[in-house]
Amino acid sequence: MPSDFEKDAYPEPPRQTPVVDKQTSLPNPALILSKLFYYSVDLPVTTFRDAIDGVRAKNKLVYYHQKFRRVPDLTDCQEGDYLCYYEAEMQWRRDYKVDQEIVKVIQERLGACQQREGPSYQQNCSKEIQQFNEVTKNFQSRYGDLGAYASGRKCLMKQKERMMAAQTQNA
Amino acid sequence: MVGMSLLRSAAAIAARLSPLKSGNAATNLLTRTIPQTEKVAVRWGHGKKMFVVKPSEFYDKRFLRLLQFYVLLTGIPVAIIVTCVNVFIGEAELVETPEGYEPEHWEYYKHPITRWITRSFYDSPVKDYEKMMAAIHMEKEKADLRLAELQVRRHMRQRGDGPWYHRETLDKDLIDHSHKSSPDN
Repeated sequence: MPSDFEKDAYPEPPRQTPVVDKQTSLPNPALILSKLFYYSVDLPVTTFRDAIDGVRAKNKLVYYHQKFRRVPDLTDCQEGDYLCYYEAEMQWRRDYKVDQEIVKVIQERLGACQQREGPSYQQNCSKEIQQFNEVTKNFQSRYGDLGAYASGRKCLMKQKERMMAAQTQNA
Repeated sequence: MVGMSLLRSAAAIAARLSPLKSGNAATNLLTRTIPQTEKVAVRWGHGKKMFVVKPSEFYDKRFLRLLQFYVLLTGIPVAIIVTCVNVFIGEAELVETPEGYEPEHWEYYKHPITRWITRSFYDSPVKDYEKMMAAIHMEKEKADLRLAELQVRRHMRQRGDGPWYHRETLDKDLIDHSHKSSPDN
């Protein structure tokens, strides 16, 4: 995981180290094995990583997060103003990508929760499950069956159909 | 002929029985086709040497050898370059955009090789966007002008007072009005 993840969404499980209650004078094999693992695997790998980081520290590169300005939507465009159509379409595509990533993050949170809780995940992470169901239902209703040639216009027409269906249901 | 073969077998028996006698050495035997079985160089000593009859592996082995050569010819330099880039230059870190600073288009990518490719070969996405907008604008102007032309044609044809849709008529100075010039003609 990258170091800047949200700590509340992925809580650490409670530590389960037992209290040491040694009743024999024989050496503890688990301790021996852990020390062996540390000296044979952990220490060389850590020193290698530190060496590489030391070499890399001289040429440090940075990258930024690109922020786009909001432009008028498809509904705010005059008819026949193809430039406005193009900008709205590009904005809709960026928003579609962002929504896909949001769904992926929610999915990952649910997976992490299930992994953490073990067999009792269905009752312990009900919040994550409810959030996941809501987000996927909304995504499906907005972008659901648009297909590979999805566009802002098609999404708008789908929204119109939804509103019409809601109106016929209410009336 | 039969006498020759008898002689040959007699010489072989003599050679086998007493190989060290000077008359029985391999060079001055009667023929050279007698196998000297006890003088064959046996290298590993155990196991009978078999000649396995199988189809030629030469072409397959040559293909695999050449494939390996040409794949590794560029594969090894590429692997060395990518390893060196990852070890010595390393990936970029995500930082907040400083105030008033407009990053270049390659500074939005993480891996150094991607940054190099977008810096050296690709146009910035802003430029592509603007090029697309310019193309759309030109096509829009062309479409508008074509619609306007159709409108103008329709009006000029209907009203007849514009520069288009002139039909050639006869010159009025050529008309002979003499037979109608006075009311009594």
